[in-house]
Amino acid sequence: MKVFFYGKLASAIGPQLEVPIKAPCSVGGLRRQLIATYPQVAESLQDDRVKAIVGETVVGDDHPLAAQDEVEFLAPVSGG
Amino acid sequence: MSVVARLADLSFDPAAELHELTRAAAGDGAVVSFVGLARPDTAEGAALEHLVLEHHPSLTQESLEEIARAAAERFDVSHIRVVHRCGSLTAGEPIVFAAAAARHRRPAFEAADYLMDRLKTEAVFWKREEGPLGSRWIEPREADYADRGRWE
Repeated sequence: MKVFFYGKLASAIGPQLEVPIKAPCSVGGLRRQLIATYPQVAESLQDDRVKAIVGETVVGDDHPLAAQDEVEFLAPVSGG
Repeated sequence: MSVVARLADLSFDPAAELHELTRAAAGDGAVVSFVGLARPDTAEGAALEHLVLEHHPSLTQESLEEIARAAAERFDVSHIRVVHRCGSLTAGEPIVFAAAAARHRRPAFEAADYLMDRLKTEAVFWKREEGPLGSRWIEPREADYADRGRWE
């Protein structure tokens, strides 16, 4: 599954990863798998402000993922 | 009612934006604007080399439009205008222009205040300061989240 990262998450592990997942998988499951696999973003990924996006929409951790889905994780945003 | 929300990848002129808004607002009695500037020092007190604003290919523009529309719907204003930079800025450059025109001043002040509180905490950008001591990601402060909470 293609997973994309923005902001400080991308600085830590790059803008894109190909992550092997076992279906069925939820966004929360993917998040936990990334936390377990990549210690350098473990703390950041547990921040409530980190949003997951599928198909241009913010989704919760219970959102079910299909094999062809692409997930984006956005680090906490800061405008102005 | 008109809403302009623009992502600018090059330097923009706040005076020109204000001029445009004032021209469009002919007939209104009040125009209120805010300009955010890149400060010359980093959080560590060193000289800022660059302020970098990363953005998302589609969600950033959407977030600017959503915030501008929300201000137009919530307050009794006739025009909302938001311009926000992305890319690399140097000290003193304008980052954001947020403005409102209305028949009367109170809704114009409130709309501009609301725009900035939402832009600070919800506009889809990732901000980092680059200076002599390296690079540092900037996130909203507690006060920014508290200010955002005022509007709930």
